[in-house]
Amino acid sequence: MQDIQLATDIIIGILALQGAFAEHQAMLQHISRKGHLEVIQVRTPEELKRCDALIIPGGESSTIALLARLSGLIEPLREFVKTKAVWGTCAGAILLSQAVSNPKKGGQELLGGVSVTTTRNGWGSQVESFEAPLEVRGLRDADVPFMGIFIRAPVITELLPAPHEPPIEVISRIPDSLLPHRTTPDGDPTQTVVALRQGRHLLTTFHPELTGDNRFHEYFVQECVVASLAP
Amino acid sequence: MSASPQIVQGVGSTAGSTVCAPTRVKDAGNSNLGTFGVKSGLAQMLKGGVIMDVVNAEQARIAEEAGACAVMALERVPADIRSAGGVARMSDPQMIKEIVEAVSIPVMAKVRIGHFVEAQILQSIGIDYIDESEVLTPADQEYHINKHAFKVPFVCGARNLGEALRRISEGAAFIRTKGEAGTGNVVEAVRHQRAVAREIRSASVMTEEELYAYAKDIQAPFHLLKETARLKRLPVVNFAAGGIATPADAALMMQLGSDGVFVGSGIFLSGDPAKRARAIVQAVTHYNNAKILAEVSENLGAPMVGLTIDANLKGGRMAERGW
Repeated sequence: MQDIQLATDIIIGILALQGAFAEHQAMLQHISRKGHLEVIQVRTPEELKRCDALIIPGGESSTIALLARLSGLIEPLREFVKTKAVWGTCAGAILLSQAVSNPKKGGQELLGGVSVTTTRNGWGSQVESFEAPLEVRGLRDADVPFMGIFIRAPVITELLPAPHEPPIEVISRIPDSLLPHRTTPDGDPTQTVVALRQGRHLLTTFHPELTGDNRFHEYFVQECVVASLAP
Repeated sequence: MSASPQIVQGVGSTAGSTVCAPTRVKDAGNSNLGTFGVKSGLAQMLKGGVIMDVVNAEQARIAEEAGACAVMALERVPADIRSAGGVARMSDPQMIKEIVEAVSIPVMAKVRIGHFVEAQILQSIGIDYIDESEVLTPADQEYHINKHAFKVPFVCGARNLGEALRRISEGAAFIRTKGEAGTGNVVEAVRHQRAVAREIRSASVMTEEELYAYAKDIQAPFHLLKETARLKRLPVVNFAAGGIATPADAALMMQLGSDGVFVGSGIFLSGDPAKRARAIVQAVTHYNNAKILAEVSENLGAPMVGLTIDANLKGGRMAERGW
């Protein structure tokens, strides 16, 4: 592959309140690149301030949101999302969505930033968790499928970009033939969307950080982070 | 007569095990469900989190509001199992279903060691994780459950590296220390965590010949020992459990290398469960930040009453169950 060209030093933060943050860090550290890419774990507003971009990992969205609130990170994160590149995987995708149709009882806080509605555990409980090879538009070696690992994964139920917002680009759908029960929960084609971009934000309902394949991490750095920092 | 579905033998299954234990039936539509990747993957999503024992839906909601990353549904917390005595079994499925309904986070439940029918029942009601637990009275003095045969993942307790790798070999996708449940005394969890870490450190510098001999010595499958030595950690997620009662206990286990913690009796037998639960959740995230640990440890009310672990321990040494 081509080394990713970094014009300046870049710091990518991984929100490290709860969940699979170490896995994302390990994946980013194996990206081939020229120039300096620093990866830091973010647990405080001071650490967030240093970052040029952020990954919100998988975990439990209600736990991460509460810990963000208790750590004084909710408002700084909402501001961060407005101006910088952010990638949410699974629980991170829920936190980036503008609404969740089945939050925990009493509701849960979101960061917003991506104009979609999601449903938590949309495929069912853990016994419905599954793996499926995906075609993803824009990845290096795009003809090689990317293994999607869906763990109590959310389902995207609505794409709602407003006219003044960047358009949503769907980069991967899961074919019905690979779904565990051959159909989405409501038979709605929107629910087959499993990876998308809106402007500098990337959202995946599955876990690229659990594979040995760092093409998604390359994609995020190149297409979202480097592109958003370009003058 | 239609063709019978293909039966997929798990890695750890032995001849005849498919006769009595449930089988993972592979048909065209479900071939990608219940892989080891999604089983161990869920444990990875729980890392940096606190899994709390709860005995009803109301406690489950308190735990979720306090930031638990999962709850463990059981009829009595371990300290109450100790004082009640008798045989401790899987909980009533109705009670577990009420807890599943009440929360959005994963729900786990315990089965007796070796009791694969209790596990079949829990899988059928859609539980997210099963703990094959020494806290309940063992159902089999010789065999653990063949966990490869299930779609639902299992967590198991271990006191040392050999025990951890035997459980992984049987299909456990998640390991926890045994500690000494229901005592509010962290000493055994520390002992088990340190034992596993020490044994991994020694294995990591061994030659191949030494690893063969060491595998025999600790009664662990060679291929798992070799993988552990290469990774310099267990090949699955490793939580601390058994006796954790304070935010400082939780941070201690994290600094000793645990990926997260289970808190059993320590929360709902304390003076202010909601506050203590939230403090332990914060302690696990900020385990290296003594200033935050001090803040969250303030004014938590009375902790659970702790027990000394000696020959007179009521309910006996649960950690010695399992083989």
